[in-house]
Amino acid sequence: MPDCKIIDPLVTPYVDGHIGDADRRAVDEHLRVCPPCDSRVHAERTVRDLIHTRKSALASPCAPDALHARCAAFARRAPDARLHSDDRLKPRPWTTARDVSRPITWRSRLAPLALAASLVLIVGAAFLYQLTASSSRVLAAELAADHVKCFALNGVLRTHDEPAAVESSMLSGFGWQMRLPLAANELELVGARPCLYGEGKIAHIMYRHRGEPMSLFMLPKAIRRQELVQVLGHKAAIWCVGDRTFVLVTREPRSEVDRLTSTLQAQLR
Amino acid sequence: MARQGLGSVSQAFEAEALASLDSLYRTALRLTGVPADAEDLVQETYLKAFRAADTFKPGTNLRAWLFTILHNTARNRARDRARDTVAVDSEVVDRAAEAPGPRGRAETPETLLLNDVLAPELQAAIDTLPEAFRQAVWLRDVEEFSYAEIAEMLSIPAGTVMSRISRGRHMLFERLNHLRTVNA
Repeated sequence: MPDCKIIDPLVTPYVDGHIGDADRRAVDEHLRVCPPCDSRVHAERTVRDLIHTRKSALASPCAPDALHARCAAFARRAPDARLHSDDRLKPRPWTTARDVSRPITWRSRLAPLALAASLVLIVGAAFLYQLTASSSRVLAAELAADHVKCFALNGVLRTHDEPAAVESSMLSGFGWQMRLPLAANELELVGARPCLYGEGKIAHIMYRHRGEPMSLFMLPKAIRRQELVQVLGHKAAIWCVGDRTFVLVTREPRSEVDRLTSTLQAQLR
Repeated sequence: MARQGLGSVSQAFEAEALASLDSLYRTALRLTGVPADAEDLVQETYLKAFRAADTFKPGTNLRAWLFTILHNTARNRARDRARDTVAVDSEVVDRAAEAPGPRGRAETPETLLLNDVLAPELQAAIDTLPEAFRQAVWLRDVEEFSYAEIAEMLSIPAGTVMSRISRGRHMLFERLNHLRTVNA
């Protein structure tokens, strides 16, 4: 009679019915005289059968319709048409066969490299500030770099989240029960990402305001006084509420930043 | 058949690939636990799949190929976020998988009791399994992939796949029995 160690790797294929005749006979013979192995097989088969009978119920939920539409749109795009600045997915019915079959030019080959090089420079510049500028400036520079990087990534991934999904990820990722500020519907939500800053994870919510990228970062510590910093071509409005620090990053004019900051502060209070 | 007037992906390939979207999404939900992250993961999977469509070998399992891309993408993301996540120590997982299963006789009443387990309870129990075992059980028993296909997806030997399925099923058996006993 084969011992338990020899039978062990055969148990799962035996339960699943994917085993040769000779091995099956060996397992059958062993199970007749080995109650512990017989129990193992019994337990494994019970769970397998249970999952199979509940499979149709387990096979829910279905993916959201919007996700189906976005993924279908990927198939309809030429491979080199995915780095457009517009980060919302729309089917492109006007794309022609000529567009699709167009060979990849040196420009399109260099574009991702140029983007990567720009990001390296921006991030490098952000670290240089660490040596020369105040801590708020470092914070603003790093978040401005992150703002550019995440919107560039979003240009490729084309994510577009609903407010409820973002609120759910804030709760599951950070433990923050919050209502997402949409500033009287003038902000269009793009999505949310967990990003790294310092030694921890921060929430990055991406919007468009009048078509322009805008980011709201939330840090889980109240570490800054209220101020507005201009850095790397962006403005960063910093403020604290309770035990959280908020940073609004955008390229919009100062007056617009002040107005948006006041609106968001009122909504987040 | 080449798609007329649109991208380089054939209509047949596109239709077959998109038919797996719901099951990819459910698997992504099991991997991420967050709907928004699952959507992100599925989107990236399709983006990569359609870009690499010409590398797919016709006649092989397109669904398994998509699941492999999904798991590779999830692994890369986890690696990128290594500072935030608890990495799965594959040696520890494999040692756990090699540990003996329940040795006491599985009583028939217990087995019968499990027949009353509802899908939400079963789903919750599956979700509490450690990731390595959850993936293996889910891909085998819900998505019904072969051991070899799962091995390819998870980048582990087929023997390890089988031992993880076995251990995962036993963990589920114990958890569901415990749940039934407490409820009773």
